[in-house]
Amino acid sequence: MSERPWLLGASALLVIALIALPLAIQGFWLYSLGLCFANGLGVLAVTFLVRYAGEVSIGHSFFVAAGAYTVAIADRSFGLSALVSVWPAIALGVLLGIGFAFPSRKLSGIYLAVTTMALALALPELILQAGPWTGGFEGLYVSRELLPGVPKPLQQYYFALAALVVATAMLGRFRQSRQGLALLTARSHPAAAEAFGVGRDWARVSAMGISGGLGAASGAALAFTSSTVSPNSFTLWTSIFLLVGSVVSVYGLTLGRALLGGAFVTLVPQLLAGSGDWIPILYGVALLAVILAGHYLPRWRAAGRSAS
Amino acid sequence: MTGANAPAQLEASNLSLSFGGLSVLKDIGAVFQSGEITGLIGPNGAGKTSLFNCLAGLYRPQQGSIRFAGTDFGALPTTQRARHGMARSFQHVALCPDLTAIENVMFGLSRLGRSGWAGALLGLKLARTEEADARHRAEQALKKLGIADIANMLPAELPPGILRLVEIARAIAGTPKILLLDEPAAGLNAAETRELTRVLHQLRTPDLVMVVVEHDMDLIMEICDRIYVLNFGKLIAHGTPDAVRSDPEVARIYLGEDDD
Repeated sequence: MSERPWLLGASALLVIALIALPLAIQGFWLYSLGLCFANGLGVLAVTFLVRYAGEVSIGHSFFVAAGAYTVAIADRSFGLSALVSVWPAIALGVLLGIGFAFPSRKLSGIYLAVTTMALALALPELILQAGPWTGGFEGLYVSRELLPGVPKPLQQYYFALAALVVATAMLGRFRQSRQGLALLTARSHPAAAEAFGVGRDWARVSAMGISGGLGAASGAALAFTSSTVSPNSFTLWTSIFLLVGSVVSVYGLTLGRALLGGAFVTLVPQLLAGSGDWIPILYGVALLAVILAGHYLPRWRAAGRSAS
Repeated sequence: MTGANAPAQLEASNLSLSFGGLSVLKDIGAVFQSGEITGLIGPNGAGKTSLFNCLAGLYRPQQGSIRFAGTDFGALPTTQRARHGMARSFQHVALCPDLTAIENVMFGLSRLGRSGWAGALLGLKLARTEEADARHRAEQALKKLGIADIANMLPAELPPGILRLVEIARAIAGTPKILLLDEPAAGLNAAETRELTRVLHQLRTPDLVMVVVEHDMDLIMEICDRIYVLNFGKLIAHGTPDAVRSDPEVARIYLGEDDD
């Protein structure tokens, strides 16, 4: 509780800085930051499942793809902009999350993780099989603008930023809600939750539904920000990188943590792009450095506080 | 039949429970009256925790019934029993480590909320009103147990005795009709047990059925109006603390006073 005013103030400053940032940067970096925000939403989706259900997913590219293709298909077939289609995209993500969680609600740990992996493995083939709708290998182009007259790169940047800010604000609110308290208790002590009327199946299905919705929101933002969707963007590796982003963000659900995870997923591969054969090794080193920093920095700070 | 003005009672009749070929409860009958504190005691393996878990809904007895105020509890899962006013504490403290003490107590009120998911995510008025009300009631529960000052602390920062009280606060915050306490004095030192005794006395209300499983005989004899004694899955005695204390069978089997 005592950290909340500080956290709110820091988040507000960060939002103001991000709103003003396009005054200072443009082109590649503006585009990359938009992708950071979109991937940050995907990281949040994985983190939500970890924090509120205690489960790990290596299949969240499935929900991201559902959101992305909903936006792309709505754009091409129905002439709807992302501002409109993001809502059915999120609803579809929630439904798919619930649809996946219900039959797998008794699974946990490595068994659930492997089950989510099945989603990611099946996804590219599903997209190809639905070629008439999804554009097959070539994918779809998302061209419709949100606000005519505003430069497209700015629209893409602000759309993804708004989605991320709104999502983190809603998650901050959710943590205070009775549903949030119930999911957290059901995660740590399922028997205690049941003793107070909260069924563990309800908790699992609810957590996966919200996580699926966040994943789909990430996909919607990715589709609009990158202007294209194709099967190559939603592989098993996409899911694994989202999980990596979640670990790098130290499972945080705040704006800053989501940005950290999204930036690692998006920017580190781009920064290493010129390193040739060294890319996997340097990526591993960067990952190790960030995780160790996330692990030890809070302890050093705590030790410093107690010493002073 | 329970009359309109008759005190509600939790009644277990002819309960039998076995795991595989091992019979752990044999034809148990017990009545737990509202306004009273009823103790379940017995040596290790006597079946008191099994009976407690049958009442709580964790175990389903193969035979017999559990009824409360005209409702067949035997057919209800644990979650439904909670909606009928049953609350409990756990032998091993089961508080959420990510929630502060007051948030853990607020969770005990979550079943009473009516606000939906939109309220939870968007902070709609009904949700905020309910949260404020839950926080107020949780503060009252903590205050009643004398631990309002630790409201914003995490479980990891609190000693065992306080954690027990937070669990009890979580159980009473929703004004339950049945309160099941599973070894509330386990792991407490003498001072903490004295404080717990004071608190349990204070919780007694005319509308509340309280059932306590406990090894601490001084505590049980001090707080209970009625005690059921089990041994090897059978009910061997019941009555007031004085009656149980003077029962030769209890003295011989449970308290270890052998004739020879």
